[in-house]
Amino acid sequence: MADLAKMRNEIKKIVQRDDVKYVIGYEKGTYGWRVSPSFARTPEEVDKFIFSPLCVNNLAVYLVLEEKLPLPKGVEKEKKKIGIVVKGCDSRSVVQLVQEKAISRDDVVILGVPCSGVVDPRKMKEMFGKEIGTVAIEDKGEKYVIVIDGKKREVLKEELVSENCKTCQYQNPVISDILIGDEIKEKKEENYSKVKELEEKSTQERWDYWKEKFEKCIRCYACRNCCPVCNCKKCMAEKTTPVWIRRSVSLSENAGFHIMRSLHTAGRCIGCGSCERVCPMDIPLSKLYKKVEKDVIELFDYRAGLDEEEKPLLSVYSVDDSNEYIL
Amino acid sequence: MGKDRIGKLVQILSRNTLYAPVKRDGITTFEKVEKVEDIKFDYQNSDVPPKNVLFPQTETTFKYTLGKDQKIEVPKENGKNIILGIRPCDARSFSILDKVFEKDFLDIYYSEKRENTTLIGLSCNEPGINCFCTSLDGGVGDKEGLDMLLTALEDEYFVEIATDKGKAIIENSPDLFSDASDEHAKKKDEINKRAESLMKRGISVEGIEEKLDKIFDDDLWNEISMKCIGCSVCTYLCPTCHCFDIQDEATLREGRRIRVWDSCSNPEYTLQASGYNPRPARINRIRNRIYHKYKYYPKNFKVIACVGCGRCIDKCSVNMDIVEVLSRVKKI
Amino acid sequence: MENPYLPNLAKIENVIEEVPGARAIKTFKLSFNDEKLQQSFEYEPGQCAMVSILGLGECFFALSSSPTQKGFIEVSVLKLGKVTTALHQKEIGEDLAVRGPYGNGFPVKDWEGKKILCIGGGIGQAPLRSLIKYVLDNRDKYEKLDVIYGARSSSDLCYKKEMFDMEKREDVDVHLSIDNAEEGWDRFVGLVPHNLTRIKPSPKNTIAITCGPPVMIKYVILSLKELGFEDSQIYTTLEMRMKCGIGKCGRCNIGNLYVCKDGPVFSWAELRQVKGEM
Repeated sequence: MADLAKMRNEIKKIVQRDDVKYVIGYEKGTYGWRVSPSFARTPEEVDKFIFSPLCVNNLAVYLVLEEKLPLPKGVEKEKKKIGIVVKGCDSRSVVQLVQEKAISRDDVVILGVPCSGVVDPRKMKEMFGKEIGTVAIEDKGEKYVIVIDGKKREVLKEELVSENCKTCQYQNPVISDILIGDEIKEKKEENYSKVKELEEKSTQERWDYWKEKFEKCIRCYACRNCCPVCNCKKCMAEKTTPVWIRRSVSLSENAGFHIMRSLHTAGRCIGCGSCERVCPMDIPLSKLYKKVEKDVIELFDYRAGLDEEEKPLLSVYSVDDSNEYIL
Repeated sequence: MGKDRIGKLVQILSRNTLYAPVKRDGITTFEKVEKVEDIKFDYQNSDVPPKNVLFPQTETTFKYTLGKDQKIEVPKENGKNIILGIRPCDARSFSILDKVFEKDFLDIYYSEKRENTTLIGLSCNEPGINCFCTSLDGGVGDKEGLDMLLTALEDEYFVEIATDKGKAIIENSPDLFSDASDEHAKKKDEINKRAESLMKRGISVEGIEEKLDKIFDDDLWNEISMKCIGCSVCTYLCPTCHCFDIQDEATLREGRRIRVWDSCSNPEYTLQASGYNPRPARINRIRNRIYHKYKYYPKNFKVIACVGCGRCIDKCSVNMDIVEVLSRVKKI
Repeated sequence: MENPYLPNLAKIENVIEEVPGARAIKTFKLSFNDEKLQQSFEYEPGQCAMVSILGLGECFFALSSSPTQKGFIEVSVLKLGKVTTALHQKEIGEDLAVRGPYGNGFPVKDWEGKKILCIGGGIGQAPLRSLIKYVLDNRDKYEKLDVIYGARSSSDLCYKKEMFDMEKREDVDVHLSIDNAEEGWDRFVGLVPHNLTRIKPSPKNTIAITCGPPVMIKYVILSLKELGFEDSQIYTTLEMRMKCGIGKCGRCNIGNLYVCKDGPVFSWAELRQVKGEM
C-alpha cells in the first residue's frame, strides 16, 4: 500500500512539469464509500488524490476518451503529456493501448502503484449502502480496517474484495515511469474456476444461464464505454449501413452485442473487470470475458497488455498458423 | 386495509394488466405479475424506473407491408393497466412527462397508456441514501400523479384516495377496506415525518434557472465532464428523461418503425449527416443535460424535470453526482 | 385522435436533377395518394415535412414549394447519408411516406408592406424558394423582393433555370454568385457575404432572411449588422438532426427552443438570447 503523502509528493512533481497537461488519479467521492476519478492540473488539486482498495475504476479509459476536436486556424495541437495513476491491471490496459497505437508511449507519464486488490462495489453496497458519511478502508493483509465517522471496524478481506482480484497475477504494474509503493512479492494463481463451472454445463444450460442475464440488459453501453480497449470511432453496434445490431432492445440483439463485443476484444482484454463493475443490471460479464481470455491462452499462448513492443495478437499472422479449419 | 388482505387485492387487480416491483436475479424492475408472491414490497426503489410501462424502451409505432397490398397499421393498445407499489417520486415523474408528451402534438402512444393506467403508490418508510425528493417539491407521502397511496403501518396499509380512478378500486372491492381512524392518520404522519428526517441529502433549487443562465461558460462544466464516460446509464434510469430515437427495422417486404430510448450523452446524438456536430464534446452534452433538466424544461413547462430519486447517483460508475454539481452551482 | 408519428403515402410525380455529381441535389414533386388529404394539406412557407422511405428512415426537409401552388408539394434533397442516397435512387411513380407540416413558417403576414431580402447559399435556398414563390404570387402585398444566391460553382447552383428566368422579371432583383471564377460566368464571383456587402441593401423597412451552411449564416449576419440591420429584422432558418419532428425526442434543441417546433425559422433577436449550441 502506498504511503499517501509520498504519492502526492511524487505526483506534484509530475504536475508541475512543463510538458504535462494534467494527471489522472482518484479522489474521495461524494458520499459513503464512493471514489471518483480526479483530474489534477495544479499541485493544490493533487492534494485531493487518494489511493485505497476503494479505487476501483480503470483510469486508462480516459486516455482515449479525450475528444480531438478540430482546432481553429493557427492554433497548434497541444503536445503535452498526460500523467496517470495505474494499478497492476490498469497498467496492462495502457500497454495494450500503446501496442495498438491508440496512444503513443511518449504521450503518457505512468505512475504505477502496486495493488493488493480492490473491493467489489456490490458487496460494499450491501454492507455499507446506508452510510452517507465517508467510509475509508485500509488494507491490512487478511483484513480490511474500515473507518466510518471515526469508528473502526474490521472485516475479512474475503468478504469485500472483488472476485477478479482473488486470482490476479499482475499486482505490480507491468510498466511505469515512477513506481509508488513497495512491490508486492506474493504470487497468486489463476484458476478459471468460475469459467470451468460454466464450461462443464450443457449447451442448453449455458444458454439458459446467459438468456436470463442478457434479458436484463438495457443496452446502456456502460460496459463498452468504460473499457479502454473499446475505442473504435464508430462502434459496430451503432452502425446503420449495414445494421449489425438493431437498436431495439431484445434478447437477440442484446446477446448479439455482448457476444460480438467479447470477440472484438479477444486477445485485447486484460481482465480488469470494469465492465461487470459498471453494469447497472448486475450482468456477470467477467465470466464471458474470462472465457475468451482462457481460450486465447489455450489457443495462442498469449496474454494481452504485457509488452509494449509486441504486436497485437489478432493483427498478425504467420505461415505456421493452423489451417485445420480451412482444409 | 390489513396487510393480510394484500393477496386478495392483487388477485382482483390482476384481472387487468398488473405491474409491480419484482426482484429477478438481484435487480428490481416493474413487471407484469399475477400472484402476490412475485411482488417484492420491501424494496427501496426499483433499479429501472416504471417509466418503461408507459414509455417502453422499444415500442412499435407502426407496422407496414410493401407491394400490392401496401398498408400501414398501428398496433392496438388493449386493456387497462395498474401499477402497484410505485414510489411517489416515480409517480410524480409521470405528471412531469405528461407535459412534454401532450404539448402541441399529442403523443398517442404515451397518452393512451397513461389514460388507461391506474397508479397505486407505496410511500417510503425509509428513503434511499441518495434520495432528495423533498428538495424538489416532492415528498415520501406526496400524492401528485398517483390515484391511490398506501402507507405501510405496522399491520395495515393506510390508504388514501387521490382521484376517481383510485376511488373505483375501493368501490370494486369494498370488503377489503375499512375506514381509517384519526389514530391511523396520526401514525401515518409520524411515519412520513420520520422518513423525511432520515433523508440526508438535499439542495436548494431556488433561483437555479437564473443562476444557470449566468454560468453557461464557467469552467465548472469542463471540470465535471472530464470524468464522464458517455454511457447512457443516468439517462435510461432517470424517470423523467424522455429522449428517444426513431428507427426502421425491415425485411424485404415488410417491417416496422420503432421508437427506442436514446441518450443525449451519446456522442452521435446530434451528429448531422454532413459531419457537423453542434455538441461534439462531453462538456457540451453534460452541460446540455443538466440545463435541460433544471433550466430549459422549467422554462417551457414550469416544472423542474427531476424528481430526486437518486438513481443517477447510485448507478453512475464514475460518481457523477447531481446534488454535488448543483451545490457547486449555487456557490459560484 | 390523430397519430403524429403516422405518415401518409405520397407518389413521386416528378424528379428534377438540380445539381449533378458528388453533391447531387434533386427536387421531388410529391402528391399524396389520398386526394382529400392533398386538397386539404395547408402549410406556410418555411414549414417542413418528414419524408421517409419505409424500412430505411426519415429525414426532415424544408418544403421548397409555396402554399400558393396547389395539388403538390416539393422537397429538395441533397445526397449525403443513408436515406438521402436511397431517395436519389427513387423514380417517378414510386411511393414515399410523408408527414407534416411541422415547424413555424416565415411570418409572411407580419411582413406585408415590407421589402424582402433573401440571402441563400447552396441547398439553403430550398426554404427560401418557398418564400420567394409565395411573395411573387402575392407581389402587390410586398414593397420589394431581392434574392441573393450563391453556390460553390455554376453546376452547384440549385434551381438554375428558375433563377435565370427570375432575373428577367421586373418585380424581383436577382443577384447570383459563385465562389470561384469560371469561363462563361459574367456575374459576381465571390462568397455570398461579400456579394451582400457589395450590393449594400438598405435596412429601411426591410426584412432579411438567410439560410445556408452554418459558417455562411454567421458571416451574413455579421455583414447585415454592419449594414445597419436590427436584430429583429434578421431571420434565419436552421437545421439540426431530427427524429420526431414534433418537439418530443429532445434532440434538436438550442437551449430551450426546439428547432423542429419553435423553429426552424428564428429571428436573430430570439437566437441571440438563447444560451445553447447551434
